Amino acid sequence: MARELRKAARDSGEDVAAHHGLVKMIPQWERGDRAPRERYRLLYLKIFTDMLGDLPHGMDAVDLATRLVEVHSRAASLPRPGEIRRLEAAALARPRATLTSAEIRALAEEAIAHLHEVAGKLAELSALLGDDKAGQGKP
Amino acid sequence: MSARDDEIRRVVAELEIHVAEVQARLAVLNALLARDEVPEDDKEEGPH
Repeated sequence: MARELRKAARDSGEDVAAHHGLVKMIPQWERGDRAPRERYRLLYLKIFTDMLGDLPHGMDAVDLATRLVEVHSRAASLPRPGEIRRLEAAALARPRATLTSAEIRALAEEAIAHLHEVAGKLAELSALLGDDKAGQGKP
Repeated sequence: MSARDDEIRRVVAELEIHVAEVQARLAVLNALLARDEVPEDDKEEGPH
């Protein structure tokens, strides 16, 4: 992604942080620890828009690229299954009036099941976008 | 619109749904830890 950002910046005639700076910042953005500045959000948008470059309508491509950036960011901020298990254990250890232990366990199971679906869909999307890019003859 | 474009839209839509499903359940678990209760929105409204 750092390489993609640098390339998008170079194509737009913009300056970005040095490669090692981007490599450090990108995981922080993806985890939601820090919010990228507007110019970096625009570069992300450009990268995804370029990946979808053969869509017939420009606004469709921008809309889809925006959704891709947003959902990618939301997916990256989700906890891992182990963290959900820790939440489940902490919730089970607390006295509570609203949910039974079985309901809490079911919530955690469902969250992890959907998390696996998220990973699968991200892989599917990555393959589709990779195909898309390859189809345009880009390196 | 190509079949691939339709496929990308379909996968993005499904991804959005699964992300929302995870976030909804995490919100309930976190609310349990924060207040030992589910969020107010999830409760039925009683008489005022």
